[in-house]
Amino acid sequence: MSTNQLFSQTDLEKELTNNVTGHEKVSATFKSTKLINGHTNETIFKNELDFKVDHRFGDIAGDNGGIRRFFGLDNSTDVRIGFEYGLSDRLSIGIARAKGATEVTQLYEGSIKYRLLEQTTDDYIPVAITIFGSNTIAAVEASDEPTSPIAYQNFRDRMNFVSQIILARKFNSNISFTITPGYVHRNFTAFRDQNDLFTIGAGGRAKISKRMSIVVDYYLPFRNKSDKAYFEEVNGVKFYNPLGVGLEIETGGHVFHMNFTNATAIQEMQYLTQTNSSWLKGQYRWGFSISRRFSFDHQKKDLREKKY
Amino acid sequence: MKKIIIILNLLLISQALFAQKLIISKNAPVTFFSSTILEDIEGKSAEGNSVLDLSTRNILFRVRNSSFQFKKKLMQEHFNENYIESEKYPYSTFKGKIVENIDLSKEGTFQVNIQGNLDIHGISKPYQTKATLVIHNGSIDAKTVFKVKVADHQIKVPSLVFKNIAEYVEVRISALYQPKSL
Repeated sequence: MSTNQLFSQTDLEKELTNNVTGHEKVSATFKSTKLINGHTNETIFKNELDFKVDHRFGDIAGDNGGIRRFFGLDNSTDVRIGFEYGLSDRLSIGIARAKGATEVTQLYEGSIKYRLLEQTTDDYIPVAITIFGSNTIAAVEASDEPTSPIAYQNFRDRMNFVSQIILARKFNSNISFTITPGYVHRNFTAFRDQNDLFTIGAGGRAKISKRMSIVVDYYLPFRNKSDKAYFEEVNGVKFYNPLGVGLEIETGGHVFHMNFTNATAIQEMQYLTQTNSSWLKGQYRWGFSISRRFSFDHQKKDLREKKY
Repeated sequence: MKKIIIILNLLLISQALFAQKLIISKNAPVTFFSSTILEDIEGKSAEGNSVLDLSTRNILFRVRNSSFQFKKKLMQEHFNENYIESEKYPYSTFKGKIVENIDLSKEGTFQVNIQGNLDIHGISKPYQTKATLVIHNGSIDAKTVFKVKVADHQIKVPSLVFKNIAEYVEVRISALYQPKSL
């Protein structure tokens, strides 16, 4: 009798059609709009607000670190408070205020992020493409020193533009990668510094448990050799590529990052162009970010009753 | 010898065809609610698929987990990623049968009990629920409402959002079964 029933049940299974309609989009390639320093392909969903606080402490080791500076916790190299809002599931806009890590401080950022392509589960579209653009305005008082990076003559000098194309792929539920070519333009820089820089970045996330992942990102600015040499000889300033490693913890609505990076700054236009600290010299720092999402799409309790 | 096998096969096939009178339901709406003081959560799918065997009264119902749509997209992401784990467990399936020995070819409205196993999140549990069947012109309109205990299927809710997700989630299914169009 029981075998009979089993037989008929498996037969029923054959009759079930899998009506997978169209190409299903891959969701949650990353849990947050940023990995450590760089952006991911993720945007904020429609009518949702993302509130994000980023913090970078001082050098853990090296000349400016150690126990005298409490491993960097006595200092903060940069702090950023930002809001991002989803105008649609694909388009989000943001505003932020950051302290700024170099002489270029009191930063105000306006940004826009748009999902151009979304990866599908059947690989009809194998990668996701998101474009990001930002304008950061430095409100710091202009310097009289003509070679200074803040010797602003007019308001336009204070503007800095970043545009990036973020390519991302979720390989499986645990592993996601991104590659980000980008372009930074600063209207005004220090003498012999470059106004225009092409950059490329790479990042990834590997889940270690359901709610925790290891995140890494690395950026490489293409700097021209003669200007780089000039900075090293005249100002004794070396440029390094920002590398971040961190732990991401997700708790339904909150995403918490604990990270280590050599970049002192948080804003794109600054960590890409002005990372002068090196991992090898102990000039890496502890940093964290907390992001909280709010939804403005609250369902009214009484509305639900009417449907039935 | 060959001929005998062929004849035997034919006999078996025809018997199977005779024994099984299947009607199917495609794109049946499946909705679930979680209601707490803090938040109401609703997931809606229009992709329920089911087969009902008129002679044995066996039912198979399946819905793709990632087909559930939520008003808040972040919630949908959490549902798929953290709770139901759609990539690991793509389908929720019910296998069971109509308990009462009723003639499903007779027209009318019937209250029946359905008994079987519900597999959600890879955990199968026995369930029994009442359903209303409206039989008309060879098709059956079936409706049922039942409750699923989230913890029963080892779906873990973190303590931080524990108050936002109900202990029992109400599931509503409405399926229209029609004879297979050949």
